[in-house]
Amino acid sequence: MDIAVIGNEDFVLGFRLAGVRRVFTTTEENYEPTILKAMEDESIGVLAADSSDLKFLKPHVRQKVMDSIQPVVVPIGRDESDLREKVKRAIGVDLYKTEDD
Amino acid sequence: MSTQEITPTRSVLLETKKKIKLSQSGYKIMKMKRDGLIIEFFEIMEKAKEMRDRVVADYLNAMEKIHIASAVEGAIAVKSAAYALKGDPQVCLSCKSIMGMTVPKVDAECGCTPILDRGYGVISTSAYIEEAAKAFEKLLETMVLAAEVETTMKRLLDEIEKTKRRVNAPEFKVIPELQEAEAFIEFRLEEMERENTIRLKHLKRKAEAAQ
Repeated sequence: MDIAVIGNEDFVLGFRLAGVRRVFTTTEENYEPTILKAMEDESIGVLAADSSDLKFLKPHVRQKVMDSIQPVVVPIGRDESDLREKVKRAIGVDLYKTEDD
Repeated sequence: MSTQEITPTRSVLLETKKKIKLSQSGYKIMKMKRDGLIIEFFEIMEKAKEMRDRVVADYLNAMEKIHIASAVEGAIAVKSAAYALKGDPQVCLSCKSIMGMTVPKVDAECGCTPILDRGYGVISTSAYIEEAAKAFEKLLETMVLAAEVETTMKRLLDEIEKTKRRVNAPEFKVIPELQEAEAFIEFRLEEMERENTIRLKHLKRKAEAAQ
């Protein structure tokens, strides 16, 4: 299965350098249809996305994207709010809380 | 179940007692499963946090390298090297089971490509581009590892939520209702027995008076 990357031109360029051929270049406007199209492709196993771009998605689409198992969507960046929220809901405690929060 | 729907008979009482026993054993099993999943989750969580930190560190490093390459070589040179690259990293998705729950196992077939196999000319490109490419290859490897751990964690969290509901339903709804029904049937049967005794005494008194 292929590794794919979705994001703006700057984000995907580096992955092209690493040899990734399945690249979806998007803008803010067409981000949602592009990611949904990429997720329908059964030949993609892992889809890398810029975590800051995920805010362009509607909440239910974002939920669908984050819960997807095939392809596995890996947000790259500092934003770990989705996982944090999920942990909080399931365990009942914010385990990602640091002393700074 | 409201008490009006219950038929207060001995057979219903026996059936209710059986249901209570079954619900209690089911509740215990689900509770054990929930505890097991939570233990598994805590083990995975540490790994996931570590992987996330590694992804962030590798990403920042890779972006820094590509920005340096773009600044030194120019954006067009970096782009042309990126488009000239050969090879396509692949992953192999398979499944493994954790406490009866299927989680994906991601095996990466990507690695560090030797400079001569990259597809771009060694002389026409600089070490900056090569460094950026290496940094992104490293990020790709870390990302694939993170994909497996994070997906396992997501699946575990979903399963914990489901199991929590399955534990709470018998604990707070099914078992108390069945116990209430059992108490009601026992009370009604005792009441009927008392009524019967009184009726028999009354009949006996009447018969004695008639004699």
